[in-house]
Amino acid sequence: MGVEILDAKTREKLCFLDKVEPQATIAEIKNLFTKTHPQWYPARQSLRLDPKGKSLKDEDVLQKLPVGTTATLYFRDLGAQISWVTVFLTEYAGPLFIYLLFYFRVPFIYGRKYDFTSSRHTVVHLACICHSFHYIKRLLETLFVHRFSHGTMPLRNIFKNCTYYWGFAAWMAYYINHPLYTPPTYGAQQVKLALAIFVICQLGNFSIHMALRDLRPAGSKTRKIPYPTRNPFTWLFLLVSCPNYTYEVGSWIGFAIMTQCLPVALFSLVGFTQMTIWAKGKHRSYLKEFRDYPPLRMPIIPFLL
Amino acid sequence: MAAAAAIAASKGNGGGGGRAGAGEASSSRRKKGPGPLTTAYLVIYNVVMTAGWLVIAVGLVRAYLAKGSYHSLYYSIEKPLKFFQTGALLEILHCAIGIVPSSVVLTSIQVMSRVFLIWAVTHSVKEVQSEDSVLLFVIAWTITEIIRYSFYTFSLLNHLPYLIKWARYTLFIVLYPMGVSGELLTIYAALPFVRQAGLYSISLPNKYNFSFDYYAFLILIMISYIPLFPQLYFHMIHQRRKILSHTEEHKKFE
Repeated sequence: MGVEILDAKTREKLCFLDKVEPQATIAEIKNLFTKTHPQWYPARQSLRLDPKGKSLKDEDVLQKLPVGTTATLYFRDLGAQISWVTVFLTEYAGPLFIYLLFYFRVPFIYGRKYDFTSSRHTVVHLACICHSFHYIKRLLETLFVHRFSHGTMPLRNIFKNCTYYWGFAAWMAYYINHPLYTPPTYGAQQVKLALAIFVICQLGNFSIHMALRDLRPAGSKTRKIPYPTRNPFTWLFLLVSCPNYTYEVGSWIGFAIMTQCLPVALFSLVGFTQMTIWAKGKHRSYLKEFRDYPPLRMPIIPFLL
Repeated sequence: MAAAAAIAASKGNGGGGGRAGAGEASSSRRKKGPGPLTTAYLVIYNVVMTAGWLVIAVGLVRAYLAKGSYHSLYYSIEKPLKFFQTGALLEILHCAIGIVPSSVVLTSIQVMSRVFLIWAVTHSVKEVQSEDSVLLFVIAWTITEIIRYSFYTFSLLNHLPYLIKWARYTLFIVLYPMGVSGELLTIYAALPFVRQAGLYSISLPNKYNFSFDYYAFLILIMISYIPLFPQLYFHMIHQRRKILSHTEEHKKFE
């Protein structure tokens, strides 16, 4: 069959593909389109049946679409794209490295007499271990655990995301590693409790990531309802749709209590706000997609939010 | 930048305007959105605001005539200025609940920047209240707001005189730079007093492991005008071309 591709905004005819197999997928059509317009690689193409409609999926098959003998598809340029893996690695490597610059009191941050000195507070060393562990864990999960639905995201996101992560990391690290840092009011007790919260939540977060990974075979984009497994950390699925976010917030609250540092608390708050928005969206998608979705579950906080 | 409430205007804050870069002609179509009760409320809101800023304008004139000089007029209109500019916070709410088709984020930035200048700079640093720069931005804001709120009032009533539309999309050319200058000069004048008093600043060590230097913050604010002002200004120029030429064509057919 024939496929004509028009610009969604100007309706200009961009390309006509003839003798396309009826069983061809949108992905294959995107590859054919790239041949005539090499600047629009498949990841930045959005093809749709209606100029204002939703994007067709790569897996959609041509003959299954409501088209006649010649399919008319509308094209929208999504802009320069970058892979999710690249974004994640960059945005997580930054904080890991930046925090250490402050921890080791590299010159030009605190004043010459403090260069390369070390804090005398145990909690400061502990905080460095926790923060570094957190981001190393994230990097490893990005490389070995997560299964991404989308290959790419818009390029401008990397600037936005890195500013956020790197900026906050520098801000927090500056105070925690400052020569005038004040350790927690309730001393070792406070630090121990906070550390316990942090560790439990890190384990929890990791357990959820593994459970989610096991829901989806490698290379696929299947979506299933996540359920608790034998791992007790996953039992939080009984109460929330996105326990990974719940545990993440918990980790940062733990870190905030451990360091008793206002910027950390603010970072936790901002993160919590963003994750709540994501969790609500995910929760809504689950409800829409699955008729039998467990009714007891809330998006991110059991019973509340 | 705070005088970019003029921009908030053009972005369609309160019915009609920039967001209606699509043109004022479509404003009647869009008004199908808010119901009669909402429209009544918005009309009242905009009338009250127009009146408020008129009060400020009259107050300035009377004080000038009484004193014989234009120095230190701030004190004579301090209260209505604070009241009506702070009242504009409602506009954020209007966007949030959807009775006005503007971006909450944009409106928030614009209103908050005005409120910041009124409370966190002029009110907080008493020494700048007698500066002439204050008069500069107060005049710019007053004229801008009188026109803006009457623009909304008339738009809501579907009876927008061309003069008001023209004024709104033309006077900004002078008023916007005037307002920005007044604002920047006022912040600049406040700096030494902030430094001296350590106003709104907290330093280490403290048990929250946090510090804030209001002096540095104000300097950052001033620097932020550099990228923001040209963008907003040229956006308005662009809007002006679109909206005023569009109306010209319509008038030809009347």
